[in-house]
Amino acid sequence: MLEMFDYPFMQRAFAAGLIIAVLASLGGSFIVLRRYSLLSETLAHVSLVGVSVGLLFGMSPLWMAVLASLLASWMIEYLRSAHGMYSDSVLAIFLSGSLALAIVIVSMAGSFNASLFSYLFGSILSVSVQDLWVMGIFGSLAMALLLAFFKELYFIAFDEDVARAGGIRVTILNYMLVSVIAVIIALSIRVVGTLLIGALMVIPPVAAIRFGMGFYPTTLLSIAIALISVVIGLSASYLFSLPSGAAIVLCLLVIFIIALVINRR
Amino acid sequence: MPLKFSPSLFEVNNLNFERQGNLVLKNAAFKILPGEYCAIIGPNGGGKTTLVRLLLGLEKPTSGTIKLFGIPQQRFRDWNRIGYVPQRSALVDGSFPATVREVVGMGRYAKRGVLKFESDEDKAAINEALELMGVADLSNRLIGNLSGGQRQRVMIARALASNPDVLIVDEPNTGVDVESQHRFYELLRTLNRTKKMSILFITHDIGVIAEDITRVLFVNQTLLVSQNPAEMTRCDEMSRLYGTPAHVVCHNH
Repeated sequence: MLEMFDYPFMQRAFAAGLIIAVLASLGGSFIVLRRYSLLSETLAHVSLVGVSVGLLFGMSPLWMAVLASLLASWMIEYLRSAHGMYSDSVLAIFLSGSLALAIVIVSMAGSFNASLFSYLFGSILSVSVQDLWVMGIFGSLAMALLLAFFKELYFIAFDEDVARAGGIRVTILNYMLVSVIAVIIALSIRVVGTLLIGALMVIPPVAAIRFGMGFYPTTLLSIAIALISVVIGLSASYLFSLPSGAAIVLCLLVIFIIALVINRR
Repeated sequence: MPLKFSPSLFEVNNLNFERQGNLVLKNAAFKILPGEYCAIIGPNGGGKTTLVRLLLGLEKPTSGTIKLFGIPQQRFRDWNRIGYVPQRSALVDGSFPATVREVVGMGRYAKRGVLKFESDEDKAAINEALELMGVADLSNRLIGNLSGGQRQRVMIARALASNPDVLIVDEPNTGVDVESQHRFYELLRTLNRTKKMSILFITHDIGVIAEDITRVLFVNQTLLVSQNPAEMTRCDEMSRLYGTPAHVVCHNH
């Protein structure tokens, strides 16, 4: 089984998968606690707009996905905070709206081509060296921001008003969080795909929370769950020729069910 | 020797607040001095919580001025001098991953600054707050698994952890049993008298704390200030303020 690491494409797949696992589960912890889980789903669909623009005009789909996702995350946060709109309805509008836009752009390109398909379901086995560089650079930046403002983001997730009253810069940190999430998602769609990224962000923290621990151990466990799922999912994908994104998400589901059963109350 | 200038904790003038075109607070004006124990009372929906949220900068006034420690609110930065205990923490349910120790630790975050680990001073302040509120033995419990009374004490411990000069408490109207309630009132009195902490307390039951308080703000769209709590607690006076149909519970101690 270990001979899979002899192939450079598998080495790249594991590197990309592990980077994304850490980022998605760490960022996911904050959005899950803020009851904002659908943000990941929405921004994944928005990323698709970026991808289709990239494919249509011959620009890097990954870069365009990062751009589209970032812009949408700011608009969503603005509508939620400044206009007091319900966050779930804002997300629903962006989710279907961006999907519609992506479909129109793709059909303008002539046909639904195969590369778009790879962004829908992920194609971790075709991660290029250049993709890895982009993930490494943006991923480190996202990671650095999450770790630097870890305790502030936690406080805001726990009680936004008290954090604000205590002098925490809530507004700017909220924009920072959605930006970081946007970047993580755009980077992840290569690995697990638009339709599956929500699972990688949401399931690890939700499963970890079941163990009833404090925030720091819960976060560590959540990262561990994501890492384990990526390793098992990718190995299974290699051994049984399964689509990698789906294999990873099924692993997450199994772990989630185990966490539920262990912690029945 | 120059006189030490001691400004009011809060100074509010001509304060108006509208929400979606509805007047919530009209022409409020008052001053609260250091060391005071001020009760904020009034009917539900009368604007008590809004008034506190305005003081804390969580709502923007439609017009009027607010000064904190003598500094206009827009320029005020020392927010950790004010400890805030909201009526209920919005997201706290059975499964939120936060231990009592972690929640009380949050009270130090703003003071500590970004990218800093817990210092010995932080640890000491957290432990002191836990001890003072009698929740030290609950340190490792999840906040969502506590009773209403315990949770309230944890929230106050968090507010105390930043060693504030003034504590603003919005009393929960449900989920706290009578015994915890009384211990809680005693605690506020102790903080005010022995620790010289100023207190702003939104409460429904002014009768039992009548001897402790130095000032009463009665909020019902307009604001009445009294420095004679005994007068405010008299039944007929309360009925008049609440309007005739109001039912007033009186404690005739």
